[in-house]
Amino acid sequence: MTRHTGRGLSAIEYPTGMNQNGDPSQAWVKLKPDGRVDVFAGTVDIGQGSKTVHTQIVADTLGVPFDWVTMDVSNTDSSAVCTGTFASRGTFIGGNAVRFAAARAKERILAIAGDMLEIDPADLEIEDGEVRAIGAPQKKLSVSDVAGAATWQYGELITGTGAALKPFATLDPQTGRVELPPHSAISYAACVAEVEVDDQTGNVRCTKLIQCYDVGRAINPALVEGQIEGGAMQGLGLGLLEECYPYYPSTEHRGSDFNSYHVPSLVDLPEVTSLIIENPSADGPFGAKAIGEMANNAQPCAIANAIYDAIGVWVTEAPATPERVLRALERKAAGEDGPRRDGKRVVFDGHLSVNAVAAPGAAIRFPLED
Amino acid sequence: MKSVGASLPKYDGIGHVTGTTVYVDDVPTPNGTLWAKALRSPAHRANIKRIDYTKAAALPGVHAIVTHEDIPVNTYGHLSGLGVPADEPLLAESELRYLGQPIALVVAESEAIAAEAVAAITLELEELEPLFDIRKAWDPGAPQIHQWGNWYTQFEGGLDRRQIRKGDVDAAFDRADLIVEGVYRPQAIEHVPMETQVCLVVPEPSGKLVIHSCTQAMYFSMGVVAAHLQLPLNKLKFVGGTVGGGFGGKVDTATETLCAVAARKARRPVKWRWTREEEFLVSSTRAPWHVEIADAVSKDGWILGRKMLTLHDSGAYARFSPYGLTKHSFHHTGAYTIPNLRFDGYVVFSNRVPTTAMRGFGVTSVSYSTEIHLQRIAHELKIDPYEIRLKNANRIGDTTGNGVVITDPSTVSTIQMVAEAAGDELKGDYRTMTSAMRTGDLLPEHLVGQLGNPEDH
Repeated sequence: MTRHTGRGLSAIEYPTGMNQNGDPSQAWVKLKPDGRVDVFAGTVDIGQGSKTVHTQIVADTLGVPFDWVTMDVSNTDSSAVCTGTFASRGTFIGGNAVRFAAARAKERILAIAGDMLEIDPADLEIEDGEVRAIGAPQKKLSVSDVAGAATWQYGELITGTGAALKPFATLDPQTGRVELPPHSAISYAACVAEVEVDDQTGNVRCTKLIQCYDVGRAINPALVEGQIEGGAMQGLGLGLLEECYPYYPSTEHRGSDFNSYHVPSLVDLPEVTSLIIENPSADGPFGAKAIGEMANNAQPCAIANAIYDAIGVWVTEAPATPERVLRALERKAAGEDGPRRDGKRVVFDGHLSVNAVAAPGAAIRFPLED
Repeated sequence: MKSVGASLPKYDGIGHVTGTTVYVDDVPTPNGTLWAKALRSPAHRANIKRIDYTKAAALPGVHAIVTHEDIPVNTYGHLSGLGVPADEPLLAESELRYLGQPIALVVAESEAIAAEAVAAITLELEELEPLFDIRKAWDPGAPQIHQWGNWYTQFEGGLDRRQIRKGDVDAAFDRADLIVEGVYRPQAIEHVPMETQVCLVVPEPSGKLVIHSCTQAMYFSMGVVAAHLQLPLNKLKFVGGTVGGGFGGKVDTATETLCAVAARKARRPVKWRWTREEEFLVSSTRAPWHVEIADAVSKDGWILGRKMLTLHDSGAYARFSPYGLTKHSFHHTGAYTIPNLRFDGYVVFSNRVPTTAMRGFGVTSVSYSTEIHLQRIAHELKIDPYEIRLKNANRIGDTTGNGVVITDPSTVSTIQMVAEAAGDELKGDYRTMTSAMRTGDLLPEHLVGQLGNPEDH
């Protein structure tokens, strides 16, 4: 038995928002008489922390403390449309909806404060829950007092509504070409994975992951790191452990419980280094791009590349289970693992291709001709 | 104090870690709540010859058995709003296309009685040969899963595949010093949420249905329920927003619609929660993908052109797969600029559980396939894996396969960051390189024509 170590690299990109857009999120904001802020949106928090991120966006847009703001995403009667929490759209599109709503509410706060202070609202700013005259901060009112005056003297409910929607980008079916950008932003990442491969058992252990993500702006760095680390664990499942059909295309041996279907657990946790780059998007909230989905995309390929570095075999069916690794080593020992070389063509994995598997008369071939 | 940029504690984190967060299964059930269990297909592919509900309906405690005849619109697609034709019945009518496909929903006074009633239903089938290997979907004599065949035929322009065409791919392959081909097959995985699919539907006296849902998308799921039941939106109220793990699997509206139909039929609140076994075996999965790539490369490491064929295993029905394949096609060059492209992708049906969105939908398979492929190219050319990536990286002003000008890429900087953290020293130019528009050595002839104006976007 020998343990071999290897290192693999990957670089990826991922779009923010639904592909081709056309996916609205809407929100509304109201102030209580003491200036505390209620935000209503239909944006489900799937555990990633979008309620927290949205609260931060609203707090800074309004200029009030974070703990003044309460997010309610509990139902469709009090909340406006949100297409949903998928497509890595929560922070950018849901976040823009609450940002726009908060900006509208801020306009009303400033209008009423301007009347109370007899100052043009354009000369006012809000910070730390206080409306202050720009350049003359001794002239000020608390947002609490403004909200109280709105309620008891002005007879106004301070609200704001916001809607984020980018138009649907139609495509040319022949070329795939779009005239409008089909996403809200693009995020980028790179990953270095280190593995240890046991050539007797075929077991691969990922020992180290170094990852860097460009998220535009980390609204909440701890939650971004949570996405990077949680996504990495899911990526380990994809790369090494999980599959519904272990003998795909056969349906035999489907796992039906946690004994027969293995997800990564803490024993699989590698040493993780998470790095964040902030290269802002043009129109995301505070420059944010997405992080959610891409966080499990960079590891499976980096691990496969590290396995090659360790033992000199390409495992191109994920996950790289011990069985697949051992079969690849067997092919290598039998001299069957290398590519077929034909002139300037280098053909890997010929036995997996439709050219080898489809019936001779089938209409599917690679490459297809027009 | 600024909130943005601060690692503030998660809003609902204390509730999650102390077990006090209320998930759908924690919502108290009103008096009189009935419990649901599904009759599911015991075969991968079959025609229903006969169903007899007599014994099941006569069991004490059984209140209703919902079949396709109870659903105003039984077949409505999750992507109907985007023009994807509906193909999946909520409850099977005469044909069964996957193991576990729901045929009927029994509601009774307890889960045990509902399960007993399901077991008492007589089901006679004519089993048919299933199709599982999507590479054989085109074979003469292959089982025909749908009346229109084994792959999705309704892409825009009447095409049966998603295409990307850019540049002159044949010229690139002629010019290439090397053509590297490979096949990549990332497999299906389960979403494995801690909270299995669950909902509670409570009819109000007004006739409005209050639907406690674990959906990731309340308005989307409400639209699906409204379409099946033909109800205006003021007759539905989704209550949710807190999800015990979704990862894409809870974009499928798995339980809400049938539960709502059952609640209307039984005139009682109805709760349906899937067992862990159902979650593993009949909830939708991430798709298995079959990806073939041929890259035309120059000996100094430029990717001149790419031909790619993708088969996206949709399982028995389309669900979100046409969307996922389109997203896949838009990103099939990964984080790199390749000016000559011929991509063809098919959504292929098989007799497995329908596949659906999962974290990274459509692009996880791109990253997996293209990044291993690029490593193979680097190895064949004996070029450093960092350098081949930095050389071909997306830069400001480059255009994607579908003509989008890139404005704020970070392929270069993210690679430089991980190289530094890994202790791998990049050579001079690669260490100082930025994502600025291409000039000089980074603007070889084959990349001139693809440049766009980043100010336009």
